Amino acid sequence: MSRAASLPVIYSAQSVIGMSDFSEELKGPVTDDEQVETSVLSGAGMHFPWLQTYIETVAIGGKRKKDFAQTTSACLSFIQEALLKHQWQQAAEYMHSYFQTLEDSDSYKRQAAPEISLQHALYLLHHGMLEDAKRKLSEAETWRHGEKTSSREILINLIQAYKGLLQYYTWSKKKRELSKLDKDDYAYSAVAQDVFNHSWKTSVNISALIKMPGVWDPFVKSYVEMLEFYGDRDGAQEVLTNYAYDEKFPSNPNAHIYLYNFLKRQKAPRSKLISVLKILYQIVPSHKLMLEFHTLLRKSEKEEHHKLGLEVLFGVLDFAGCTKNITAWKYLAKYVKKTLMGNHLVWVQEEWKSRKNWWPSFHFSYFWAKSDWKEDTALACEKAFVAGLLLGKGCRYFRYILKQDHQILGKKIKRMKRSVKKYSIVNPRL
Amino acid sequence: MDFPSSLRPTLFMTGPLGLNDVSDLSMCSWQNVLTQPEAQPQNLKNGALHVTKDLLWEPATPGPLPMLPPLVDSWEPGLTAQDLLFRGGYRYRRRPRVVLDVTEQISRFLWDHGDIAFAPIGKLMLENFKLEGAGRCTKKTTVVSVKKLLQDLGGHQPWGCPWASLSNRQRRFSILGGPILGTSVASHLAELLHEELVLRWEQLLLDEACTGGALAWVPGRTPQIGQLVYPAGGALDRLHFQEVVLAPGDNPQFLGKPGHIQLQGPVRQVVTGTVQGETLLAVRSDYHCAVWKFGKQWQPALLQAIQVDKGATGISLSPHLPGELAICSRSGAVCLWSPENGLQQVYKDPETLVFRDSSSWRWADFTAHPRVLTLGDRTGVKMIDTQGPPGCGLLLFRVGAEASCQKGERVLLTQYLRHSSPECLPPTLHLVCTQFSLYLVDERLPLVPMLKWNHGLPSPILLAQLLPPPRPGCVQPLLLGGQAGHLQLLHLAGEGVSAPRLAGPPQSLPSRTDSLPAFPLLEPKIQWRLQERLKAPTIGLAAVVPPLPSASTPGLVVFQLSVAGDVFYQQLRPQADSSPRRDAQPPGDTRPDCRAPTASWTPQDTAGCSQWLKALLKVPLAPPVWTAPTFNHHHLLGSMELQREEGVVQQPGVLREAMAQGRLLLQRDLGSLPLADPPPAPESGPADELSERLREAWAGRGAAWWERRRQARTSGPRRQPRRPKRRTQLSSTFSFSGHVDPSDGTSPPHSPEGPPAGALPRSPITSPSQELTPDAWSQGIPSERRQTLHDYMAKLPLQRDTPGHAGTPPSSQASSTRATHSRQHTPILSGSQHPRKKPRMGF
Repeated sequence: MSRAASLPVIYSAQSVIGMSDFSEELKGPVTDDEQVETSVLSGAGMHFPWLQTYIETVAIGGKRKKDFAQTTSACLSFIQEALLKHQWQQAAEYMHSYFQTLEDSDSYKRQAAPEISLQHALYLLHHGMLEDAKRKLSEAETWRHGEKTSSREILINLIQAYKGLLQYYTWSKKKRELSKLDKDDYAYSAVAQDVFNHSWKTSVNISALIKMPGVWDPFVKSYVEMLEFYGDRDGAQEVLTNYAYDEKFPSNPNAHIYLYNFLKRQKAPRSKLISVLKILYQIVPSHKLMLEFHTLLRKSEKEEHHKLGLEVLFGVLDFAGCTKNITAWKYLAKYVKKTLMGNHLVWVQEEWKSRKNWWPSFHFSYFWAKSDWKEDTALACEKAFVAGLLLGKGCRYFRYILKQDHQILGKKIKRMKRSVKKYSIVNPRL
Repeated sequence: MDFPSSLRPTLFMTGPLGLNDVSDLSMCSWQNVLTQPEAQPQNLKNGALHVTKDLLWEPATPGPLPMLPPLVDSWEPGLTAQDLLFRGGYRYRRRPRVVLDVTEQISRFLWDHGDIAFAPIGKLMLENFKLEGAGRCTKKTTVVSVKKLLQDLGGHQPWGCPWASLSNRQRRFSILGGPILGTSVASHLAELLHEELVLRWEQLLLDEACTGGALAWVPGRTPQIGQLVYPAGGALDRLHFQEVVLAPGDNPQFLGKPGHIQLQGPVRQVVTGTVQGETLLAVRSDYHCAVWKFGKQWQPALLQAIQVDKGATGISLSPHLPGELAICSRSGAVCLWSPENGLQQVYKDPETLVFRDSSSWRWADFTAHPRVLTLGDRTGVKMIDTQGPPGCGLLLFRVGAEASCQKGERVLLTQYLRHSSPECLPPTLHLVCTQFSLYLVDERLPLVPMLKWNHGLPSPILLAQLLPPPRPGCVQPLLLGGQAGHLQLLHLAGEGVSAPRLAGPPQSLPSRTDSLPAFPLLEPKIQWRLQERLKAPTIGLAAVVPPLPSASTPGLVVFQLSVAGDVFYQQLRPQADSSPRRDAQPPGDTRPDCRAPTASWTPQDTAGCSQWLKALLKVPLAPPVWTAPTFNHHHLLGSMELQREEGVVQQPGVLREAMAQGRLLLQRDLGSLPLADPPPAPESGPADELSERLREAWAGRGAAWWERRRQARTSGPRRQPRRPKRRTQLSSTFSFSGHVDPSDGTSPPHSPEGPPAGALPRSPITSPSQELTPDAWSQGIPSERRQTLHDYMAKLPLQRDTPGHAGTPPSSQASSTRATHSRQHTPILSGSQHPRKKPRMGF
């Protein structure tokens, strides 16, 4: 045997011998590894729902769940699968078995019972079975299993609020009945009494919930309606102001919209309306109320409001969902012209500065000129006017519209051309 | 834009995640499926719910079909959990824990790559070896005579023989070499290996590379024609452009061979988009991004390619401005990119948004405002104004109590729902997917999800696509894809002033493995290979709504791409609504909603599947990267060759070749069987016996026949009727176990040694001595090898005179020579398929 051939054999011999030694050496590190590994899995914090199946595929004789728990979880997954494949009957059969888990001694599961009641109530509500829903909610309210934790308190509040909402529906139905009745009708006083009773219960039920931070639009709406009905304007305003301005609450645009609509109904002064909408503008500059906001600002006497009015219009048209809003374009065309005529070139330039590198391709491209003209000539005209004012008469959009021969709009286009020549910010008259 | 006039009641809590696990009821599931009662609840009945009724989809076939003509590349399934996890020691744990099996891997490495592992140390220890001069022993105890050592080892097969007994000399050598071998090799190797295993395991748990998907649809000249763009070619580095014709109600036609562009690295993400009539294609690789533009001829022309040093994790095309893209990298930077203006960094923060998380995955997308981008990481999503001061922004989604997130919940995917149609959904919605739930967040109301749905997908959602409504006024389908091939179809509605909601029950769509019945019946090994192939992770999803000719029902085609490079498609059609109203049914009838599954395979489908399978089987399996040195068998065969008669002289040659390649010898290698020993037909024996017996009995000679039989049985040593049966059984086992063997070095992990061991009777230890005549050839062969050789011989029809010999099934040893090298790629076999040998060390 040559030496070269013998060497591999030696090393392989080492492998045989060395291995038994390694087994001792490696035992230490491996136990350390366990900690490292678990940190890889749980220490990093992310939970992998599919990890369990991985572990299960690696044959282990680990301790299993309780038989019962295993059955129920398997049952649940069957239900899920059947539901997703729209095999309703099968799902119903599994569901029948699964309901037994509600009898489970597990306290966590019992805690879920009121939630299920609530969900069931919502379902009934949705299907117009108001009476059933009400009964279900009353049932849910009386669930008394488990400890009364803070989360349960919220749950109970929610259940009560939903009950309140149902009472509101009955109330508004009664109210409608009442409005149909003659005041002298003998039934009037009975119904009126009914209405009053309901409102009292409702206010108790809802008011506790809406003090908690959250989105409670339907509750607030119905609560305010009832307060307004009974003339408690201050109360209503307080509820709405709190709902809109409490910092613990999420910045819900609807809170401001409700407040604005309420103030509008109450014929509040313009300055007050503007201050409400100013906040809405900061949250949702694309909201359709912004056009109303612009009108308010335009009518205002203050110059800063006039400036803000321009800003608001530009802001609306920044958004993808508003690009075809003809009212906004009409307002903008008019207002830019008016601003330029009013010697506020700086205002326009200020707004245009941050937009000049993307508005041309976003709004005033050749593609849009063609398609806008095809779809909505009026929109194309308004846009062309704005394009001309902002980009000058050389702008492609403007030129394209100008070239189009349109009988009705001919006059308008001519006027537009004149205005562009006169006011365009590209060649400011020095 | 309208804002929903009344949002769904939600409790708002701030704080870390996992706070309100129990009270997660303000977002309870019913509520999301069903709409909140509006002012007049009775209106709802014929309102929203009714619309959704007629828009449930059903698959036209029970499973997706492969793209034809088939283009199949070779692919190897990667590591599995079985390869990485420690399989013992769980018994006494309260909860099974995951432990990476470093020991097993090291052991395998040392066995398989001993030369690499030990050669350097051998060189270091050279002075401790005495290579020559056997003479008398030196007094130095630190020098070992190699010759003696070799002599001691002489009788043992060095590779794969853990039971080799140790001589004193070997033990001395072991003590000598122990400390050096133990510390250096083990610690260094273990450290590196451990690092690698952790990486692989993390990748197995969540492979984020293909987030967003690598399959995209490019609309063509006419609405019927389009192109699928996807990577293929084994390493996923060839970008294919496949033209497809969509015919309503018919399977899509794939036109010709796809055009392709060869790239430098694997493609991870493919995005296409059409803005203002300009169609762009953006591709993300690990360290490069590139953007193409489709010209008038629908040919892609490269606009620009950039390098991302830290690794790109996401790319998206602007839905507003032509030629604008957003990319983000592992360094935490987000850039706006346009081929004209180059890169503009708009954000950079290596830290995660909400809380510290180790993942460097980032994602960037657009919003309804063309100058505002979203930046997502595992902990949340932030909106950043590219024109504002750097670093500032507004959190859009926070993994925390605000969205009632669970403990351990992380963002897997975030997407701007750009293709929402204004009459259906507002263009301000963002989709956020975690392991557990799906959230719809409106950018006008940050932090409070508009909708939360527990998707329950058992694999990570890395793919999502919002489709246009198939018919005007319809709800929009949202397609979700899990990595393991799960597909879910949801329906989103939320037009005008109503809050976005799930319309209709979510549906799960068939996955690729559901197509298995469409393939012909296969031998288990090929079946296994096919199954592995169909189970390959999904890395791309594209759905197309074919154009609607008048008076036609809408359709939906879902294309999916697997990591093996296979494109499958699934056609969906609107569910035929059998019962218009549930209340209309008689109360006793419980079946109105239980529709029989109407989808079934057509002959055309199965023919297509067979065609695809044929192409798959033509693809050779990748050759082994490394082959273990095999023991010398020339000597063994030589002696055998000499002593056998010349009649079958070519067969040992074949056997030798087979052994050199480390595979089983197959029937077909041997050519046709010798005529002298025609394979008995399996049923001939017993059938003949039966008919014979009946005939005799009919003639009234039954008793006599039986007597004759009995005598024959007791006197004759061989039981003729039984053997052919066993033999056929055996040969069939071989043919399927070895059918794909020719290049079997890296066969699928579960069947390198043929059928499940349980299916085969174990050969009794005594059988060789009984059945083998102690031939001359077996003399001079070490007794341990006789069994091996015998088993090889068993597969040869050499011993005509003893047909019973063929009845010996392959013992595990027979294949162990092969197994040592085939296992190095696929080290661990599934427990169900194959009885595991105990790990050889460390326990």
